[in-house]
Amino acid sequence: MSAEAAAEEGFDVLHHMAPKVLYDLRIGDIDISITNTVVTMFAAAFLAAIILLWAARKPKIIPGRFQSAVESIVLFVRDDIVITMMGKEGMVWFPFLGTIFFFILFSNLLGLVPGSNTPTARLSVPLALAIVVFISVHVHGVMKHGPIKYFISWVPSGLPLWVWPIVFLLEIVSAIAKPFSLTVRLFANMLAGHVIILVFLSFVLLFGTYLVAPLSLPFAIVMMTLEVLFSAIQAYVFTILSAMYIGAAIHAEH
Amino acid sequence: MEGLGLLGAGVGMGLAALGTGLGIGVLSGKAVEGIARQPEAGGVIRTTMILGIVFIEAIALYTLVISILLWTKG
Repeated sequence: MSAEAAAEEGFDVLHHMAPKVLYDLRIGDIDISITNTVVTMFAAAFLAAIILLWAARKPKIIPGRFQSAVESIVLFVRDDIVITMMGKEGMVWFPFLGTIFFFILFSNLLGLVPGSNTPTARLSVPLALAIVVFISVHVHGVMKHGPIKYFISWVPSGLPLWVWPIVFLLEIVSAIAKPFSLTVRLFANMLAGHVIILVFLSFVLLFGTYLVAPLSLPFAIVMMTLEVLFSAIQAYVFTILSAMYIGAAIHAEH
Repeated sequence: MEGLGLLGAGVGMGLAALGTGLGIGVLSGKAVEGIARQPEAGGVIRTTMILGIVFIEAIALYTLVISILLWTKG
């Protein structure tokens, strides 16, 4: 489509963010069509598994370049996220948190590839991840401390008795707000970041002339570079917050 | 009164960006001061700073979601 024609018929950014249905699939009324978002998500999971398994295929004492690169990321997740936030007993959760980290990282990065659609920029994927974290936190807390002691530990000790119901209600609200804020943070960051690249590129279509391209393309490239950084940071942030919430449930002894 | 929703989305997002910018600016400034004064505590300060930034940023992102809702309503 030429730039002039696009400017005439109006260009809608949101329309370009919507997933494209590749294969129509329904169970009753539930729509489980294969869209390019789903394909990107499968590709992310597949790629993460392949790369990690490939790196761990023949572990050597003196690692090669590829093995040490992957090892340094895994060690970063273990030492800087799991051990720092949860202590030594948090190592049970290391496989879970590592999986979340690599899945989000690869989803975010694959979303930058033209033609794909970021899975983490749809509300459903971060929401599903956050619900899994939410269930993990409370199931682990109840299993470790027993239901009564766990719920009592929500309220700080040393409060007068009449404040307890109020504080307990507040804690319930904050427990529900945590998965919500995890979801919105990942979703909005990825959506906003990837839309900004699209907006810079679509300035050509909006103004209907190629003269703005020398201005808007460098900005798009800069934003692309920043987005690679933000993809890694958002994966780190989601994992470290999950580790923090689970760690708080483990150490609920005040 | 056509387009008031769009106006609200734009003004709200701008205000949210203003507040978040101030917050993150103050936070990272203080963190740099702390690391300059005590470089050996840099790792802990950096982790805490990123956590703080994340919580501040979340507030702007809530506004972004509201703005997108207003934008799609027109």
